[in-house]
Amino acid sequence: MIKVQNLTKAFNGKKVLDDISFEIKSGETLALVGFSGSGKSTMLKLICGLIEKDSGDITTSDGDIAMVFQYSALFDSLNVADNISFALRERRDLRDKYSPDEIKKIVAEKLELVGLKGIEDKFPSELSGGMQKRVSFARAIVTEPNSILYDEPTSGLDPISSTLIEDYIVRLKDETKASSIVVTHQMSTIQRTADRVIMLYDGKIVFEGTPHQMLKSGNDYTKQFVNASLKGPMTMGLG
Amino acid sequence: MINSIGKYYKHSATRLIFEGMAKQFCLFLETLGMIGMHAVTAARGLGFVDKKELMYQCYRFGITSLPITLSIVSMSIVIVTSQVALEMVKQGGGHFVGMAVSILVVRELAVIMSGFALISMIGSSLASEIATMRVTEQIDAMRVLKVEPVANLFVPRILSGMLMMPVVCVIASVVGVLAGAVTAELAAGLSYRAFFESAWLGIFAKDMFVSLGKAVCFGACITLISCSCGFEAKGGAKGVGEATTKAVVWSFVAIVIVDMFFAIAFFF
Repeated sequence: MIKVQNLTKAFNGKKVLDDISFEIKSGETLALVGFSGSGKSTMLKLICGLIEKDSGDITTSDGDIAMVFQYSALFDSLNVADNISFALRERRDLRDKYSPDEIKKIVAEKLELVGLKGIEDKFPSELSGGMQKRVSFARAIVTEPNSILYDEPTSGLDPISSTLIEDYIVRLKDETKASSIVVTHQMSTIQRTADRVIMLYDGKIVFEGTPHQMLKSGNDYTKQFVNASLKGPMTMGLG
Repeated sequence: MINSIGKYYKHSATRLIFEGMAKQFCLFLETLGMIGMHAVTAARGLGFVDKKELMYQCYRFGITSLPITLSIVSMSIVIVTSQVALEMVKQGGGHFVGMAVSILVVRELAVIMSGFALISMIGSSLASEIATMRVTEQIDAMRVLKVEPVANLFVPRILSGMLMMPVVCVIASVVGVLAGAVTAELAAGLSYRAFFESAWLGIFAKDMFVSLGKAVCFGACITLISCSCGFEAKGGAKGVGEATTKAVVWSFVAIVIVDMFFAIAFFF
């Protein structure tokens, strides 16, 4: 469960998120969509504690929050196995919990879950963008998190790799029963992965509903977004 | 009167100069505070050092840098000895050449030139590595995985600097004195025997201990400053470049200041 109440965040006096509230139940996936610069990634960073909020509350159920970064953020000096097992080896509360054999087994399990069996010894630079994303999925779920945050998981990927990544997001949700937030610009990702959609514009929620409602709604913001139109209420940054 | 002075000050170049200096001073204090905070956080993580990573960083700091460090140290000694030895021999002080060179090498040149070489090779590499990790969100990923990045990244690197810098200095001192002996023989015809007979007279245990202490401090300064500057990098490639430059400049200044304090404390 993730509960956000009256969340506000400003940078240099400009409010990026303005009094935002929503809740995600366990096992539910929320797609967070909106214009570039509408505060979606800031929201994820606030939820996982990478930046401090100005006001409001963020409550999550006990357990870890995992995040899959837009450009994977794999440790490029470590091989795939060391990347995935990083938290198990380096976290102070986990480092003495697992033996090297157990860690090896967990890494193999997680890699199998993301369809990348047997690439433990490869380095991130030897993998394609899609494979790097899937390794970052495996690294994210290694501590069995209760919440998973995806920051534009399909950006920069070809349509087929995007579909594969979307399938894995759904699969991880089914396997982990975690609450998930997917920040995306792609309609296909929304359609395939999300139970619910929230659209942000200028720091505020301008639409909340199911992916189906988003397509059918008469909301000017969603219409402009779905039709990728230059005409509509969203003009920020269009020049 | 006061009004006219105020009016003049508001538009004057003096104001710009003072404001610029004040800004630079604030930035200096900010960087100093940031390095201090990182030192404290790293010290808290001392008990959790990854031994495998420590070994790798020791290899990187001490072994990979050795050829260039020794080349720079020995070339400096060749330059100094070739200019000094002939003059000393001409003036009848040939039997002091070994002593002069060994004092210069052991007390000063080996450690400071090794420091400069290690800043340019290892310090810049540490700063750009950590800065790249910062701008590619690898450090954020560590935080999300609940691994303290300062302790994880800084501790093995700082320890490796403190452990390996004295080793590098001892090797550089030996190579430096040997380079001095060869140069004195070639440039001034001074025999190896005459050189080494006086060389031993100039080196005392105190000199060696002070140099080793200095080397430990230099190792700590270079690695801490380089890691800190890299850690605070912002933006993309430009931020990585700026962080690396800052790390190199600050490390150079820091080791010269530390060297000066050692000279004042032990040789005044």
